[in-house]
Amino acid sequence: MNVQNNKPGIWKSGKGKGKVTPKGRQFDDAALSDVRALLGDSPRRADLLIEHLHLIQDKFGHLSAAHLCALAEEMRMSQAEVYEVATFYAHFDVVKEDEAPPPDLTIRVCDSLSCELAGAQQLLSALKDGMDPAKVRVLRAPCMGRCDTAPVLEIGHNHIDHATPELVEAAIARNDTHAHIPDYEKFAAYQAAGGYKALADLRGGSDTPDGVQDKVLASGLRGLGGAGFPSGKKWSFVRAEGGPRYLAVNGDEGEPGTFKDRYYLERTPHVFLEGMLIAAWAVEAEKCFIYMRDEYPAVLHILAEEIKALEDAGIVEPGYIDLRRGAGAYICGEESAMIESIEGKRGMPRHRPPFVAQVGIFNRPTLVHNVETLYWVSKICREGPEVLNSTEKNGRVGLRSYSVSGRVKNPGVHLLPAGSTITDIIEACGGMLDGHEFKAYQPGGPSAGLLPASMNDIPMDFDTLQPHGTFIGSAAIVILSDKDKARDAALNMLRFFEDESCGQCTPCRVGCEKAVKLMQSDKWDQPLLEELCDVMVDASICGLGQAAPNPIRLTMKHFADEV
Amino acid sequence: MTKEIKFTLDGKEVSAGEDETIWQVAKRVGTTIPHLCHKDATGYRSDGNCRACMVEIDGERVLAASCVRKPAEGMVVKSESSRATTARKMVMEMLVADQPERDAAHDKSSHLWEMADAQGVSESRFPRIEKDRVPLLDDSHLAMSVNLDACIHCNLCVRACREVQVNDVIGMSGRGHDAKITFDFDDPMGSSSCVACGECVQACPTGALMPATVVDEQQVGDSKDFDREVKSVCPYCGVGCQLSFKIKDDKIAWVDGVEGPANENRLCVKGRFGFDYIAHPHRLTKPLIRREDAPAKGLNVDPANLMTHFREATWEEALDAAANGLKGRGTEIAGFGSAKCSNEEAYLFQKLIRQGFGHNNVDHCTRLCHASSVAALLENVGSGAVTATFNEIENADVAIVIGANPTENHPVAATYFKQFTKRGGKLIIMDPRGTAMKRHATHMLQFRPGTDVAMLNAIMNVIVEEKLYDEQYIAAFTENWEAMKEHLKDFTPEKMAPLCGIEADTLRAVARDFANAKAAMIFWGMGISQHIHGTDNSRCLISLALMTGQVGRPGSGLHPLRGQNNVQGASDAGLIPMFLPDYQSVEDDGVRSAFTDVWKSGDFSNKKGLTVVEIMDAIHADQIKGMYILGENPAMSDPDAEHARDALAKLDCLVVQDIFLTETANYADVVLPSSAWPEKTGTVTNTNRQVQMGRPAVPPPGDAKEDWWITTELAKRLGLNWDYTHPSQVFAEMALNMRSLDNITWERLENSAVTYPSLSPEDPGQPIVFSDGFPRKDGRAKFTPANVTAPAETPDSEYPMILTTGRQLEHWHTGSMTRRATVLDWAEPEANASLHPKTLRKLGVEPGGMITLETRRGKINIMARADRAVAEDMVFLPFAYVEAAANILTNPKLDPFGKIPEFKFSACRVTAATTETMTAAE
Repeated sequence: MNVQNNKPGIWKSGKGKGKVTPKGRQFDDAALSDVRALLGDSPRRADLLIEHLHLIQDKFGHLSAAHLCALAEEMRMSQAEVYEVATFYAHFDVVKEDEAPPPDLTIRVCDSLSCELAGAQQLLSALKDGMDPAKVRVLRAPCMGRCDTAPVLEIGHNHIDHATPELVEAAIARNDTHAHIPDYEKFAAYQAAGGYKALADLRGGSDTPDGVQDKVLASGLRGLGGAGFPSGKKWSFVRAEGGPRYLAVNGDEGEPGTFKDRYYLERTPHVFLEGMLIAAWAVEAEKCFIYMRDEYPAVLHILAEEIKALEDAGIVEPGYIDLRRGAGAYICGEESAMIESIEGKRGMPRHRPPFVAQVGIFNRPTLVHNVETLYWVSKICREGPEVLNSTEKNGRVGLRSYSVSGRVKNPGVHLLPAGSTITDIIEACGGMLDGHEFKAYQPGGPSAGLLPASMNDIPMDFDTLQPHGTFIGSAAIVILSDKDKARDAALNMLRFFEDESCGQCTPCRVGCEKAVKLMQSDKWDQPLLEELCDVMVDASICGLGQAAPNPIRLTMKHFADEV
Repeated sequence: MTKEIKFTLDGKEVSAGEDETIWQVAKRVGTTIPHLCHKDATGYRSDGNCRACMVEIDGERVLAASCVRKPAEGMVVKSESSRATTARKMVMEMLVADQPERDAAHDKSSHLWEMADAQGVSESRFPRIEKDRVPLLDDSHLAMSVNLDACIHCNLCVRACREVQVNDVIGMSGRGHDAKITFDFDDPMGSSSCVACGECVQACPTGALMPATVVDEQQVGDSKDFDREVKSVCPYCGVGCQLSFKIKDDKIAWVDGVEGPANENRLCVKGRFGFDYIAHPHRLTKPLIRREDAPAKGLNVDPANLMTHFREATWEEALDAAANGLKGRGTEIAGFGSAKCSNEEAYLFQKLIRQGFGHNNVDHCTRLCHASSVAALLENVGSGAVTATFNEIENADVAIVIGANPTENHPVAATYFKQFTKRGGKLIIMDPRGTAMKRHATHMLQFRPGTDVAMLNAIMNVIVEEKLYDEQYIAAFTENWEAMKEHLKDFTPEKMAPLCGIEADTLRAVARDFANAKAAMIFWGMGISQHIHGTDNSRCLISLALMTGQVGRPGSGLHPLRGQNNVQGASDAGLIPMFLPDYQSVEDDGVRSAFTDVWKSGDFSNKKGLTVVEIMDAIHADQIKGMYILGENPAMSDPDAEHARDALAKLDCLVVQDIFLTETANYADVVLPSSAWPEKTGTVTNTNRQVQMGRPAVPPPGDAKEDWWITTELAKRLGLNWDYTHPSQVFAEMALNMRSLDNITWERLENSAVTYPSLSPEDPGQPIVFSDGFPRKDGRAKFTPANVTAPAETPDSEYPMILTTGRQLEHWHTGSMTRRATVLDWAEPEANASLHPKTLRKLGVEPGGMITLETRRGKINIMARADRAVAEDMVFLPFAYVEAAANILTNPKLDPFGKIPEFKFSACRVTAATTETMTAAE
């Protein structure tokens, strides 16, 4: 028996150079047991990846490479699949082996238009200067849906309205870093007032899905997320496809300036929930997914509580309503991107056709509605289509929940006739702030760009703004005054798009980035910007890139002296 | 019939198939719409993200990406409208804005620049992105350069890695313009889990991912910088990937995959980056004769300095010396041919032994890999080849992969298996060792080694008990069913579970999944065959397929994954002691005379010859005294290698024909330098029964010659009447007595691969066989019951652990080629044995520490790798490393039917290496 000797015939030895494990990062046992404990008996399905990432981020304040690696192992996913999702969403902090984790406390300062008008940049730099970076991390963040109380920031998950460094200091001193849950109508109160009777009646056969669909059509209800598609029609498209079908609620109210969904959810969540269950009944949905943006922690809390109440009351089977938490990505308000996110992936909009009504969640037909739309479905079923169609103004029928912010006296959600002009809306807000003269307005979020004050007689409704190169969208109205520059507002908007572009298609990814650079110069290269706008509109995959040029074009058109 | 869609494209009415995109239709009718993220190659899903292929569709608000958009009836599409062309051009201009300067391009001839040129875009008016947002060079991988400053986010590499090869290493992380191609967790490519298949490099349209050999130190390169291109076949495994050698200055500069029937452009690390072994300084360039004053025979020659043992000779002298040493010695001579050479060379080799020495003592490494599988297949289905190509998995809904680790050993086949799971196919993996495909599997049965028969019989027991079998099929196409049923009664899952270590419920679930499949395939590897019960293992798999009727239909079949690039062909060509070509028995007088008629020579022995291990024993027994070994390395590959080496040392005449001075050639008297695969002409037959043409890319070095020439010259000196001047003549002779080659001619193979059987001169060949019966009596396949046999050597207190051997992705068999290939050696430079981390902790050994492995045959010191895939009582030991040769430890006990040794199971002892054991080894 010979031990192999080092003879000349042993011509090769790479001693000390070999890999001591198989290729790539190996998981570690301690991290794996952390992950297993956190996941508990949650299914290890790939669509739950984002939920699982939240569990780790919430518990440890960041996503360490060790935990991500263990999560990949536990979910039988590749490291690449986990990493690309974790790094897509702004609310996940991936920390690699050689990096320091973020401090325990994070302050996110909103820098979207209304907050910027209210001094967000000064607030941001004051906080950055004043805070110990070892203890508090100060980040900029996009719209938090509280534009009526600008400037706004989030400290932990506690939103501070009309924020100042002093309020921040005080909150930190109080350790006040959790979401404040507002008073709202709970299940018992809603049910006592006749809530869920309409649903019970429909389930009992009081009307057919066709009947309800007709009622919804008659009311004139259109998609209030911004696209304005007639809601009843959507139902028939989804119903035309074979089951199983799903319903998904788009609660990713991310269009800067919009806060109407939060307004309704923090007050009367069950009106929305009943509307959702009616729609689900109408299309025979196997399951309802509610995709709620992570910027609304109070709403997430309320919905979790009230869904539980619905389950306890036997109105829905446990698990029928699947509440999914976004993770900081504006693009997930785009319905197909939202579906990708519900499937646990990066929020990449899909090509159309096919439409989500045919090929949606898990490639099944999916009815996607905005929160407020479902709120109105409920109202229509309980109070009749007249709740909307009995109001008429300037030739337009129905009501709109305008989210108004900027230089007005009483910003907030104002429910007004859909035919209201910007003049009516400013009036409803108690007029301009003292010392401010109306100069311009954003009619429907940054995607809608800016119009000058002179265009003050247009009904602020679907279809009426298109001839002017813009649209009402989610009715996110920001009022600018003579103290504000249109070009600054436009740049703010494009910066937002650059940050939030998913990066999938060239026109949007490169276009937003190049536009920001071109818009930073004193004198804009207007012909080149115009060409850029053309390709973005014509060739972007989704609405983000297609609408992102609106602020550029409208600024060049209406505020030419500034650029 | 698929529906035809009529629409208008640029003013002309055209029609499209249901699955065709506008881009494809346009290309078909002669318009290539610019494209970047769309790769016009099999297996690539169009993604529509780059927007370089936009077209205008009447009535639509925005333009559409032609690569993803399917036409609808009556649609009016304009690819040439100014709106569409302007948009496309702007997309190019946007992308070009952030590209490195063209004269510093990583790939001057990149597809991106080609497309930019085609549209007249050479520069951009847009400002460049900030420098600090541009990723830096990643040169951590020896084979590939990653320069993401040229990346256009087209995602092709992600699709290459995740959808085509399903290696799942590359992702697109982050968001927006700061999104970035990343490996694992944004790790350097070289330390990521990347297996270096290079698919991403082949897919990248910008030069952001390039073969490292194509860029210079400044990362400047040109993918068109080659003199010529030669299409050939990969020399490594049995998958038989077709590839294209890009040749510059008579050197292989780099390699691309091409559209072969088995690989559809895909390659693995060996096939793409493993070719510089042919230019290694160790290459044999002159015939050698052992010096009179050479030291005693042993593993004692430094391959970099041969002159201590050998002297150079002319071909004349060396061939004469070889012939004189062998001539006229009859049964004292035996031959090992090679599964790495061509069909023609294998045929000539067996002919030389039979015609030249009058007996059948000729064998090759099939004995060490699938001999038992072939024995079982011949016995029960009447044919030793696969019943269906592995690509048939495309049509399957369930597949078993047992005793095989395709991601390492048949990497390109594995890509199809992984894709099958992505489509929803149920993959059932059975292996004592966890494999990389485990993550994709519906069931992972990590059973106790050596208990295959127990486990498979239990599964079949369930199928019988629950009447899940296919009665009609059994009645029509099989025999011995009643006996089989009776035999299986005893093998209940409950009884077998404690033996095989798989719970009864799991065995039941697997049985149901398999039996209820619409179409199911079974793939197996050496884990099945390399046991003393290897034939029984295969019998079980055959029975399982037969009882469920899973043979002969699309998506069904039996597929032993053949190891060597030409082990199928070499076996078909008769390089085995029991059979003449096409598995015709040497015992059959008519068969022999059919061959001797063609050979124009007298009869030879009607006795089956000795097999590989038996030949070594016969040398020790002084029955065999001389050998002719072509391209085989028994000093490394035979079980109980010291015993084999001692045998080689004992030979009075050993003629070795090879490209390097292998461990076997250390013992040679005459060494004949031959040409490597990329230097020769010949056909090979892959695991799929696909016969493919190999072509010379570069000339052999020095005086090295093609193997067929050397064998022919030797034959002449042995007095044989050979006058071949080209392999095509050999092929023609083979076809005379090989029905499998019916309708297959050299000329056909010059143009394309042909799968045998081919039913007509036009038939590309039958991927599936036995749909209407088997080449056995009455057309019936047979159930052969198998009993549980314990391994030849079971663990005991002295040798408590189980040693199993196998291969690693980067190294081919005994390492003679791959350890001389720069990239492969870089990836796996050191002998290593894998053990579970817990086992290492118990031994007190850190990962990377040295351990001593010992069996009743021998002892080696080796670096320990911590790998959770290995069971806690097992050691996995690859056999490519001469410095810690696995086969010093393995057990030479043979399967009685296939005569294959039990490489997969030895009792062993593992200890932390001590200073003494290490010193002893120094």
